[in-house]
Order: sequence, then C-alpha cells, then structure tokens
Amino acid sequence: MTSDIALSVKDLKTYFYTNNRCNKAINGVSFDIRRGKTLCIVGESGCGKSVTASTIMQLLPTLSRIEAGSITYHAERGDIRIDQLARNGAEIRKIRGAEIAMIFQDPMTALNPVYTIGFQIEESLKYHTDLSLKEIKKKAIDLLRDMGIPMPEKRVDEYPHQFSGGMRQRAMIAMAMSCNPKILIADEPTTALDVTIQAQIFKLMDKLKAEHDTAIMLITHDMGVVAELADEVAVMYMGNIVEAGSVDDVLRSPKHPYTRALLDSIPVLGQGKKQAIKAIKGATPDPYERPNGCSFAPRCDFATKECDVMPDEEYISKSHRIMCANYKAVS
Amino acid sequence: MLTFIIRRLLIVVPMLFVISFLVYLGLELTPGDAVSHMIDPEVASRISAEQLSEMREALGLNKSFLERYYIWIVNVLQGDFGHSLAGGVPISDIVFDRLPATLELSFIAIVFSTIFGCLLGVFSALKKGSLTDNSLSVVGMLGISIPEFFFGLVALLIFALNLQWLPIGGRLLPGYETIWDRLPHMVLPGFVLALMMTAGVMRYSRSAMLDSLSRDFIKTARAKGLPEWRINFIHGFRVALTPVIVLIGFRLPTLIGGSVIIEQVFQWPGIGNEFIAAVRGQDYPLVMMIALFSVFAVLMASLIIDVLTALVDPRVRLD
Repeated sequence: MTSDIALSVKDLKTYFYTNNRCNKAINGVSFDIRRGKTLCIVGESGCGKSVTASTIMQLLPTLSRIEAGSITYHAERGDIRIDQLARNGAEIRKIRGAEIAMIFQDPMTALNPVYTIGFQIEESLKYHTDLSLKEIKKKAIDLLRDMGIPMPEKRVDEYPHQFSGGMRQRAMIAMAMSCNPKILIADEPTTALDVTIQAQIFKLMDKLKAEHDTAIMLITHDMGVVAELADEVAVMYMGNIVEAGSVDDVLRSPKHPYTRALLDSIPVLGQGKKQAIKAIKGATPDPYERPNGCSFAPRCDFATKECDVMPDEEYISKSHRIMCANYKAVS
Repeated sequence: MLTFIIRRLLIVVPMLFVISFLVYLGLELTPGDAVSHMIDPEVASRISAEQLSEMREALGLNKSFLERYYIWIVNVLQGDFGHSLAGGVPISDIVFDRLPATLELSFIAIVFSTIFGCLLGVFSALKKGSLTDNSLSVVGMLGISIPEFFFGLVALLIFALNLQWLPIGGRLLPGYETIWDRLPHMVLPGFVLALMMTAGVMRYSRSAMLDSLSRDFIKTARAKGLPEWRINFIHGFRVALTPVIVLIGFRLPTLIGGSVIIEQVFQWPGIGNEFIAAVRGQDYPLVMMIALFSVFAVLMASLIIDVLTALVDPRVRLD
C-alpha cells in the first residue's frame, strides 16, 4: 500500500428490511477516503448519506444488512475488510473509536446526560489505550483545551447540560479525536448549531485534519459547507452516488442534472424575499417503489428513453465520475 | 440540597395539620358514630336514649366537631395519641404492635419486586421481540390486570387448602417462636404482594430501558468501541433508572400503610387490616392516627424520590 487511501468502499449495497419489503438504502456506492483530505457527501434527506456512515462503522440497525460490496480499511497493520467483521464483535470494537471515529448531528442527544464530559472522553481512552487513570484524566483535559474550551480543568467534571451547543460539539470532537483516529466521520456535525458556531467547528476540524493527517468524511446537505471544506465531493441521490469528483469538478462544472438542480436551488443571500427559488420538481420517489432505471429520471428535465435503464458510472476525467446517460446533452 | 431537604421537612408540618383536619371532617360527615357501631343491632332496640347519650358523653362524642378536633390535636401535639374507642387500648400500643408485621411483609415485597422487576425488565428489553420478552410481557400484563385479592385467594386455594404446604393465614407473634416458625406464614402473602409489584416494575423498567436504548448516546457509545455490556448497563440502564426509581419510591408508603387488600386476604395482623376495622367501627382516633402515619409516609417517600432522582440524574436540581 503506497497510496494515501485510508478507506475504500466498493460497490456497497445496504438494504433495510421491513414487513417483507426491502428498502435499498444504499444501492451500489463506491468511494475512497484519503488521508489528510475531506470527502463531503451531499444529498437531500433520506438519500443514504447517514446510512453510508453507519455502514462503515457497522452501526446499522438490526433489520438491515450489507448485501454486497466491500469496505476496506487500509490500516497500518494491513487491510481490514470491515464488511466481513462481526457486528459489535471484538475486532470492529477495536477499530471503532480508536481508528475510525464518528461525530453526530445533535451533540445534546449524542452525549449521555448523566455522565460528566470527562467521564465520556475518558471512556474511549480507557478502552483503546494503555494509559494510567491519571494520564487519561490529564489527556481528557488536554483534549478539551485543544478544542478551545476555556478552563478545561473545571469543565471536564461538568455535565453535557452545563455546556452550550457549540461546546458540546467540541466535546464530541474531543471524544472522537481522543485516540487519534485515522478517519473521522462527521454526520452533519453542525446542523443543530448556529452559523457562527458552525464556522468555529469547521475551523477546528480543518486544523485537526492538517495536524493529524486525519481523513475526514463529512456528511452534509449544505453546499456552502462543501465549498468551504471539501477536497472531494460525492453527490448522493436515492442510494447512489450520482456524481463525484474534486470540489472544482463538481461545484464549478456540474454535469449531472441533479447536481445542477441542487446548486440552482440554493437561495442567494441579498436577492431579497422575491427571488424565485428553483425547486426541483416532484418529490423523491418511495424507496420501496423505485424507478427501474435512473432514480432521478422522473424529476429530470433531460430524461429520455435511455434513462429507463440504470446508467453506469462513467469517468469524465480522471477524478470526475457521473451516473447519467445523457450528461453530454446536459452540458 | 440540604436546604431543600430542610425546607421540605418544614412543609410537612402544616401539610399534616391540613390533612388531619380534612380526614377528621370526612369522618364527621359519615353517618353514625362509634357508639352506633359498638351496639349490637339486636340490643339497640332495648337501649334507651339516655343510655346512648351517656355512652356518647363518656367517649366525648357529645361535644361539637371543632371542639373535639381541638382536643384531639392538642393531645396529639402533647404526644398522647388517645385510645381506641373500641376496646380502649392506647393507640400507640396498637400501632407499635401492628407496624412490625406490615413492615416485614412490605419490605420483603419491595426488595424482591425491585430486584426481580429490574432484572426481568432489563432482560426483556435487551431481548426485545424474542419469545422470552413476549411471554414476560404477557405475564406482566396478567400481573397488573388481575386484582390482588383474586390472586391471593387462588394462591391460598392451591397452596394452603389443596396442597396444604403452607398455613392459610395469620402470623405468629414476634418472639413467640423462631424465625423459621414464622417463615411459612410469610411465604404466601409475601409472594403474592411481591409478584404484583414485580409485574409493575418489570413493565416500567422494560419501557424505560427500551427508551434509553433507542437514544442517540447509545449509538455514540457504540461508535466509541465500547463492549455491549457497558453500553447496555453503564449507559442504557443508568439512564433508565430515573423513572424506575420514581415508581419504586411511590411504593415506599406501603411499608408503613400496609397493603390493605393483601392483609385482609391473608388475615395478616398489619396496619392495613387494622385500618379497615377502624374505619368500619368509626373508631376515629385510630383512623386519624393511621391516616396521619400514611400521609407522613407518602410525604417522606416523595421527598426521598426527589433526593434520589437528583442523585441519579445530574440535570435535576433541588432548589
């Protein structure tokens, strides 16, 4: 392994089962996460972003299963096929928190309300390092200080409800970064926070990425966040990555009709209340009754007969790939 | 927290005053009085009105309502709880005679139901949807919906009458025999009371546990790579504990007030049984005292619940 790829996902399919019906939540997704780079996964609610993150961590609910494909974690000790590890088994537990860490959307509910912040940070360290209790305590305080929390010696013994929203998320990040993970998965980490705090959190994540060479997978539905943070972008729709590439590829020359529609639908600040917001027509299809071909075809302005068959992934350039039969007509 | 406890304890005093007056008023409003209950209906026709009023005068029942309440409360404040109208036994003797029996029974039931209720409820939640969980749910439903007296009578019928394994009721007096002689008497009422309580605790802890296991912090704990037992117990159960503590706390008054129905069915010589007899006979000094004890127990239990929830859940602040 000479490349800088920390984790690669190949043709991953995760299905959810309810009452004999099957929701193909992730329907063949491939991407790589690179060291020291941020991969942003964007898409609307229910498109499979969070499921992708959960699948990588083997945190799926009971009635779901990795149907096909592979998740390979390129560890220093060799490649590990995460998809083949037992759910909640000893091996995945060794990776979770220590090598792949995750932060969640709402830091209020993601922290246990009855334990101190310190206790919850120290818990990871206790399980993943050989440090003594004294060192662990010190490390927890240092982590909080690194995250920019004032008076960490005092704050470490406080409970989540005594922290503000932004501080809670910092504490979450401190928890996630406690064992210096190789990969950090952030599932909409700032959705529950206000914009100024959002900027601080992202600044912090960027700093960590630079200092520790961490690979970051950031899930968001905010294009502004993508533009600011991402090195690479993957746009998801109905369980597929419809377009992926570097930020410049995707944001500056979007090829997929969905990406374009998504970018067009962003309201522009300063144009006042009367600006016409170009919403995407229609609604996302019922996940149990997907269109046979391209999932976006029923809502797409460029749909043709060819769209009745599921399009293949096609590389436009070395980094830019797309899943659309008509992308040439679009641009 | 100390100021909170002191303040709550101070509130107890006026509350007891108010409640004692209300209970007294309630007793006054019921038709008849202690004398009319003391006299056999067959003899009643032969007793003259003078004799009746003499009896009332001897018991102080001829005075006005407020006057009697005043006398009663002054006596109580001086530590004199009065005498039972039926039999003339000092009430403090009756209470201290009956209290150990009630304490014994309720204590066993509360301890057992807490331990088994929590264990079964948590187990049920962890195995949600399994055969064990479903059967436990059915048993829990039955335990809640079948009335205690029915359950008690069935238990008596099977174990005491048909199988004759256990005595049919009553309780040997303390010190009368060794604990081993008293134990068989305790088994049936203890078992029935504990079972009814267990059903409630079980269902409560199951739903509290399921609720806490579905929260986001469980996913966080899992994402930290913690082992399952730690996720379930240190994170899940700890949070589920608060509602369960409240439920168990509300049962503490049974320790003093007794379980009226179970004590009746098994002829358990406890406070609950005595209370029923006193109400029937309109033995108001005794009713008042037992009622005040129960009220005191309820007030103390709610104070204990508040303190315990504050200890378990840091978000609860007592001030």
